[in-house]
Amino acid sequence: MYGKIQALNNVSFSIPPGSVFGILGPNGSGKTTMLGIVMDVLKPTSGSYSFFGQPATAELRKNMGTLLETPNFYHYLSGERNLIIAAEIKGKGKDDIDNVLRRVNLFERKDSRFSTYSLGMKQRLAIASALLGNPNVLVLDEPTNGLDPVGIAEIRDLIRALSAEGKTIIMASHLLDEVEKVCTHVAILKKGNLLVDGAVDEVLVNEDIVEVGAMNLPQLITVLQGMNGYTNMKNNGKLVQLFYAATTAPLESINRHCFNQGVVLNHLQLKKKSLEAKFFELTN
Amino acid sequence: MLQLLKIEWLKVKNYRTFWVLSILYLVSIFGSNYIAWLVWDSRPKKNSDVNMLVGNPFKFPDVWHVVSYTSSFLMFMLGLLMIISVTNEYSYKTHRQNIIDGWSRRQFVGVKVLLTFIISIAATIAVILTALAFGLFEDASLFSFEKFEFIGYFFIQALSYSAAALLFSLLFKRSGISIGVYFLYTLILENMLAGFLNRYFDNVGRYLPLESTDNLIRIPVFKMIINQFTASYNTTLLLTMALIYLALYIFLSMRKFETDDL
Repeated sequence: MYGKIQALNNVSFSIPPGSVFGILGPNGSGKTTMLGIVMDVLKPTSGSYSFFGQPATAELRKNMGTLLETPNFYHYLSGERNLIIAAEIKGKGKDDIDNVLRRVNLFERKDSRFSTYSLGMKQRLAIASALLGNPNVLVLDEPTNGLDPVGIAEIRDLIRALSAEGKTIIMASHLLDEVEKVCTHVAILKKGNLLVDGAVDEVLVNEDIVEVGAMNLPQLITVLQGMNGYTNMKNNGKLVQLFYAATTAPLESINRHCFNQGVVLNHLQLKKKSLEAKFFELTN
Repeated sequence: MLQLLKIEWLKVKNYRTFWVLSILYLVSIFGSNYIAWLVWDSRPKKNSDVNMLVGNPFKFPDVWHVVSYTSSFLMFMLGLLMIISVTNEYSYKTHRQNIIDGWSRRQFVGVKVLLTFIISIAATIAVILTALAFGLFEDASLFSFEKFEFIGYFFIQALSYSAAALLFSLLFKRSGISIGVYFLYTLILENMLAGFLNRYFDNVGRYLPLESTDNLIRIPVFKMIINQFTASYNTTLLLTMALIYLALYIFLSMRKFETDDL
């Protein structure tokens, strides 16, 4: 409970080590609230969480890299001095600072005051800070917020590279496309409730939809029922929709089947179901 | 603990506002006493009644008392330094980031409590040096540690004012409201309430939180006149109350920060 608003309600899932775990949900769905609770900056009314099967402590947080909601730094200090403070708190040496600054393309501006950074640079500094001490778990809350398209692509590449190094990455996002591009697993939140969680290719199943039309619709349906391979059939009164697993729709064989059965098609179209539509379907 | 203080030092080292205010504060400790000295030195020196009434407050051992008293009018500055140090963290949200990066909540607020001790020690040292300067200037041969307890009272008062400021900043979080409420409370509101309670409730106003420390260092001059119309003070009780309040500020500050949504 946050004030009078119940921000989270019985959300429960576990995150496989080595995965890139996306927490997906529209604005205000409780993503940041949930991460805030596991980072001990928000106090839940009830519930529990654990890291690596152990109760969460400050010591464990030192070995995780976290960017929560906004880049939080001392405005009057340079990027490098801010990272020195973060490294001291984490109990890591200063040796890593140049390295992480290079990794996010901020090395040249390390001596500039944080207050002079652009939004994208602030975000990069926050990611650099999360990388300090080479942690095995990274928690990134909307990591591409405020970045330009090139920056977004760079950060996504960085996340993939980190994942390839075997790190577990927990990433909150309201950008479905982002989750689909970089995550292996996903949990979808809406108004504080967990809608679904699991591997991305299971949760965000892509479907091919084939629209078929003919003069005699009932006859077409009968003919199509004699065909197999599709997962579902819908009739909207004008056209028939056939659902196939992604990239498996056999247009030619549908056409041939109908023609051989004496039905001439006057409409045959492949439609890709957009992830966006899937997301709306899940969250509405 | 040294590691924690080192990090606090890194935060404050390049923070210009803090240093400008600190240095001006230390200069003002000397300055306020110099003003008092100028006023005293401009007395009609040939009038023996005046001389008898005020004596020489800048000679040992009275100088320990006088300088502590005069300097205590600048207590709000210590509070201001404390408020800036804490509310800055809130406005930059670094209080969250420090926790996220691996400090426990207790460590974060614990360092701020340590900071109240450090700035109180710094202020007390400034007061000692100022008292020494005036005392030695007036008559070095009289040097003694008699009445040095006022320096101790000053330290307790400084701790109380800065710990109260810490509590105010943790309660209000924003610098503007913290500073406004703190100044009005310490300069006017508590004094008003104390005056009211003293008048109608047998001087209990003396034991209000900051009043109890103010009353440890009472006005050092005109004692003969003032004592005629004020009830006598119970220093032991004042000291006890001051320490109880101090413990309370620290306890409430820790508790507030450890249970809050940050």
